[in-house]
Amino acid sequence: MSTTPLTRSAPTAFGSARLLAGVTHGTRADLSTHRRLHGPQRHRTLEELAADAARVQLLGRGGAAFPVATKLAAVPPGRRTQVVVNGSESEPASRKDRTLMTLTPHLVLDGALAVARALRTSHVTIAVHDQAAASSLHAALQERALAEPSPELVRVERRPARFVAGEIRAVLRGLDGGPAVPPSRRTLPSEAGLHGAPTFASNVETFAQIALLVSLGPAEYAAVGSPEEPGTTLLTLLGDTRAQGVVEVPTDLPLDALVPGTSGPVLLGGYHGRWVEDVVGLSVTRPALRAGGLALNAGVVARLPREACALAEVTAVTRWLAAQSAGQCGPCLFGTAALARDVDDLLHGRTAPEVDARLAGLVRRGACAHPDGTVAFVTSALDVLTDELATHRRHGTCGRPYAGVLPLGERSVR
Amino acid sequence: MRIEVDWTRCDGHGLCGLLLPENLANDTDGFPVVRDPEVAPGNVHHARRAVSACPALALRLSRP
Repeated sequence: MSTTPLTRSAPTAFGSARLLAGVTHGTRADLSTHRRLHGPQRHRTLEELAADAARVQLLGRGGAAFPVATKLAAVPPGRRTQVVVNGSESEPASRKDRTLMTLTPHLVLDGALAVARALRTSHVTIAVHDQAAASSLHAALQERALAEPSPELVRVERRPARFVAGEIRAVLRGLDGGPAVPPSRRTLPSEAGLHGAPTFASNVETFAQIALLVSLGPAEYAAVGSPEEPGTTLLTLLGDTRAQGVVEVPTDLPLDALVPGTSGPVLLGGYHGRWVEDVVGLSVTRPALRAGGLALNAGVVARLPREACALAEVTAVTRWLAAQSAGQCGPCLFGTAALARDVDDLLHGRTAPEVDARLAGLVRRGACAHPDGTVAFVTSALDVLTDELATHRRHGTCGRPYAGVLPLGERSVR
Repeated sequence: MRIEVDWTRCDGHGLCGLLLPENLANDTDGFPVVRDPEVAPGNVHHARRAVSACPALALRLSRP
């Protein structure tokens, strides 16, 4: 096994390609190709859409895995109501959303327009920071303006790449001209979101899944995947895995089909996720993972190749997480920085007697999930890397190089 | 009543931890550690004092 850097290669489908139908060669589906693959734009009433989403137990695909039916029911329909597609994908390890927007933008638009029509509004905003994704969406809107004009007004807004700026409340604040940081009050977008109006906001993949649900109908949609969460899901695989990059898999796929064997710890759920010893007995079903104290979050699954220094990877990500603190909450700003120094000490074979206290000092002490997500990542890493830590403690190094398998931003991705 | 810290406002002055030790402690940087968010009925006046003493207006007392 060699270290395979994350490249902009074509996505892969294990089993049936649904979201990725027709685009697994890496070629963008234009409007006519999209219509041939997925049929015409269809609409449902709000009640029908919510019922269908409930029937297939569709969960949001951003990180929180919130039920789409519940979210639809919480947003009052009407002309002021806003639909926001969160395409910030501010975690550098994840590429699924930009892959969808770049290769199959019309599926995302079909979903967004179906939600807008159900909520009887014409306001759709897509927040995106990736240039290729934004260009593809703009091109898709131009294709539609000519071939199938619709009354909805779709705006594509470029957003900064910062990690916490991708949190939905930070996105909404940024779109309203404020700082792109999470607000202090636990406001609900469904009550007061964009421009203070009721807002249905969800992740790019969620809207693409809604488009599939509307075009296939709930029975066919649920023909694959786990009964607990039917259908498929997108993942981004990194490092020593069966494929690299974005994959579409049915939700009942055992994770060891993607990360076979037990050759090293696996990171589930990206940089706010957790390290596990192995993935034997786990599948990609969100409710089942949650029951086991795990989360798929935005779908990043990574295993480090044996020839890479795992502790160096963890240290690099921890430092990145510290740098991504918005800096508005003291315990997060100071705590994540101190934690990064502690992990760096462990990497160099020094002791870090305060590390447990630092981790405890970050729990539930911020306006957003960043401190707690950072704690999950570091705590689980230190738990599964006991042998590595002992080696570094004894020799000051494990002799293996830092390979940069876990990407930290645009530069290391391209 | 519940005591809540607005972490985006808190500057770690550390007064609240001194005024409401039943619920709050201070960490080494002066930021509060919420030991127990539920304020006992007998301590509500101490909690109100802590809320009004906060120079950053970062402390709230709210009904559950």
